[in-house]
Amino acid sequence: MNKFFRFAAVAAAAMTVSTASLAADWSPPGPIKMVIAFAAGGGADTQARLIAEELEARHGWKIIPEQVTGKGGLNAVNTLKDGATDGTVIGMIVTETLGYNMAAAKAGQPTDVTPITTTAGTQMAIVALASKGWKTFGDVIEAARAGEDIRFGVMTGMLGDLAYVTGKENGVDFNIISVRGGKAVMNGLNAGDMDIGFGAGIQAKAVAAGDMVELASARSEPLKASPDAPLLSDFGVSFVNETAFLFAGPPNMDPAARDAIAAAIAEVVTTEGGKANAFITKGFGGPVVISGAELEMAVQKDFDASGALIAAAAE
Amino acid sequence: MTDLGAIDYVWLGVQAVFLGPEAFVLFGIPVSITLLMVAFGLVLGIVVGATPGLGGVIAMAISLPILISVFGFNSDALLPVMGFLIGVMKGSTVGGAVPAILFNTPGTPDAFMTTLDGYPMARSGKARKALKIAHFSSVSGDTFSDIVLIVCAPFLAIMVEAYLDLPEKTALLILSLSFIAAVVGGSAAKGLLSCGLGLLAVYIGSGEDFYPRLSLGTDALSDGIPVTAAVIGILVLGAIFTELEDLWHQARESGRIEVARDEGDQRLHWADIRRILPFVGRSAFIGTAIGALPGIGSTLAATIGYATGKRFYARRKAPDAPEFGEGAPEGIAATEAANSSVSGANLIPVLSLGIPGNTAAVFLILAAESIGGFNPGPSVFKFSTDLNPELVIAFGLFTTMILANLLNWTVGGVFMRSLGVLVRIPKQYLLPVVLLLTLASLYVEETSMSAIWFAFGFGVLGYFMRRFEISPLPFVIAFVLGGRLEDTARQAFSATGGDPFFLLKSPVAAAFVLGAVAIVFLSLRKPKAAQS
Repeated sequence: MNKFFRFAAVAAAAMTVSTASLAADWSPPGPIKMVIAFAAGGGADTQARLIAEELEARHGWKIIPEQVTGKGGLNAVNTLKDGATDGTVIGMIVTETLGYNMAAAKAGQPTDVTPITTTAGTQMAIVALASKGWKTFGDVIEAARAGEDIRFGVMTGMLGDLAYVTGKENGVDFNIISVRGGKAVMNGLNAGDMDIGFGAGIQAKAVAAGDMVELASARSEPLKASPDAPLLSDFGVSFVNETAFLFAGPPNMDPAARDAIAAAIAEVVTTEGGKANAFITKGFGGPVVISGAELEMAVQKDFDASGALIAAAAE
Repeated sequence: MTDLGAIDYVWLGVQAVFLGPEAFVLFGIPVSITLLMVAFGLVLGIVVGATPGLGGVIAMAISLPILISVFGFNSDALLPVMGFLIGVMKGSTVGGAVPAILFNTPGTPDAFMTTLDGYPMARSGKARKALKIAHFSSVSGDTFSDIVLIVCAPFLAIMVEAYLDLPEKTALLILSLSFIAAVVGGSAAKGLLSCGLGLLAVYIGSGEDFYPRLSLGTDALSDGIPVTAAVIGILVLGAIFTELEDLWHQARESGRIEVARDEGDQRLHWADIRRILPFVGRSAFIGTAIGALPGIGSTLAATIGYATGKRFYARRKAPDAPEFGEGAPEGIAATEAANSSVSGANLIPVLSLGIPGNTAAVFLILAAESIGGFNPGPSVFKFSTDLNPELVIAFGLFTTMILANLLNWTVGGVFMRSLGVLVRIPKQYLLPVVLLLTLASLYVEETSMSAIWFAFGFGVLGYFMRRFEISPLPFVIAFVLGGRLEDTARQAFSATGGDPFFLLKSPVAAAFVLGAVAIVFLSLRKPKAAQS
């Protein structure tokens, strides 16, 4: 799936130009309900609201954001499932919702929604407070082997499995704490309730300020802010987390609405100088725009592949 | 923006209020929206407080969804909306004394003690003076409480973060809920019932598991119950149903409302202030102390303030002065200062722990949750050198409270004394209008009919709870805190490596749990003690 993203990052600008005119031809028959599958106030929520704000400003659409959180985005998917197909109901989830979460919950198929477009990948990292004194994830494993209890904050089921498998491969047992949203992991680290935790990009400011360190990249490639941080594969882990943020609509969504909304969102997230673009670039490593049939394939592939991690964590 | 100190944050907070988006320009000076909203909230609060049958809760419940849809969901909306709610909260406390003094009809339970001395004073021709005393005492108590809040909340939050780990936080939530259940409802058993129903309702459809629990396989329940619908249903619709039935029963029982004519000197002299000041001081202290504990309401503060004042008064009163209950200005002062000083201190647990203690605090938390960008809890008071926007909002909120107090001191009293006419609004017209407004504003926020049905269902529940004298407040607070309780407990369990006795392993957590058990046990044994 990573290849898709790399390809898309290159193609994004070109696509935006070619499809921008679509947005002008279509206008929603009413206010658009934007379902947000993330806790209010976190990085993903901020991203969604900034996009909504700019869509309103650029196209004069009326967008009503609505939080539908819980069950790793499946609640949001349920809301989308019964929504109007005319483009007045869209939602922001992550690719993980349609992949790992659906597979783990045995709750439907990716085709239960119409994927519209991705907006950004993540800078998924294992993070700790700088005051802990750890430089890389190796230091954490050493501390754990020496008998220290390590609390590992995660915000999704998949990351929980990933944390567990990472510990197992290295012969340590993390106390894995599952919380809602990356913001809650940051709060847990700051409050001393957790020792390490996953951050999808929300850690950017704290890392830049030197308050936090990125101990390892949970992606298949190095992190932008900490290129020297090791990869999980350096610790014998064969899984990665390549989650991307994704807008989706109800199944059988009107193609004209889908294309117009995809183009409009792509335009917003890729236009430099915009608030949404600046936010995505700072926190999530820049916009990643994939849409149409290509996105459908990527999502389906993700869903089909997620069984392997579930099996590894269940062993 | 590097190296921000505490003073910088205070200054940024003040700026956020005064230099925020402007509403209009007055004599060349831009007036910020937040300023306008605080003033508007205060005026509305005084009006609803002075109207029998209405109150701050109803005003907040109706205005919150409307305000959110007007101001939107970005963090610019936080200060205007929360400033408005704070204005309503403060205004309604002051306004509540008006019908109590003039017509012997307390608008809220808090104001009941005010009728004891206020109405006799009004009957003996001292209505305006009684209102002035009520206003002075109320605003003094409020101001004192706010000062304590502003000074203590940041330190308390930092202490909480430093000393409380996940098991202790779980135990603290259990302690708070037990406290609320045991103390608020009058009867501990009924309080526990109310609290338990609240937890049951909030756990529908929530949780970590992918299967929506307790949903009975229905789609309607699988997303859980919208919090606004539950809170508005229980608090507002339940109250309206109860009032309507009361009206139906009394039908045309009452005649004309009589107002005594003012006689003699109505001014509030320095000597009067000197006389009531010791009472105001004591009650403000009592109210603030009670308010700072999560869960105990202003009614209890008013009662204790009045009782303490009465004892103090009996020792030092002049032989010819009226007794408490026969028109003593000190009685009004003791009550009003106590019930008004609860609200500021009540925000100490709200802002530092995220635990609401009364209904006004519930709406502030709802506002913060719906708008986003501000999550009450210890992380708010992190004085980071890099900008912490939540801390700026916190100091912005403190600024709006000071502003509301200033307005209350200056124009609040005059405005309040002009509102005696409101008592003549017939409830049979007022209540249906309120019902319609409540449902409309709920629909504005949730934009689905199912929220209306949920609210109706909870309204019926709220009606029966009132009929069986079960306080709805533990229900509402349990509903608001239930999710956090579960999350924190789950996290504490994982953090301790799956230790089932995590609540008893640390001394602090064990003490909290023991305290919770003791409170419930003691109040079950002596239900009368909690009522007084």
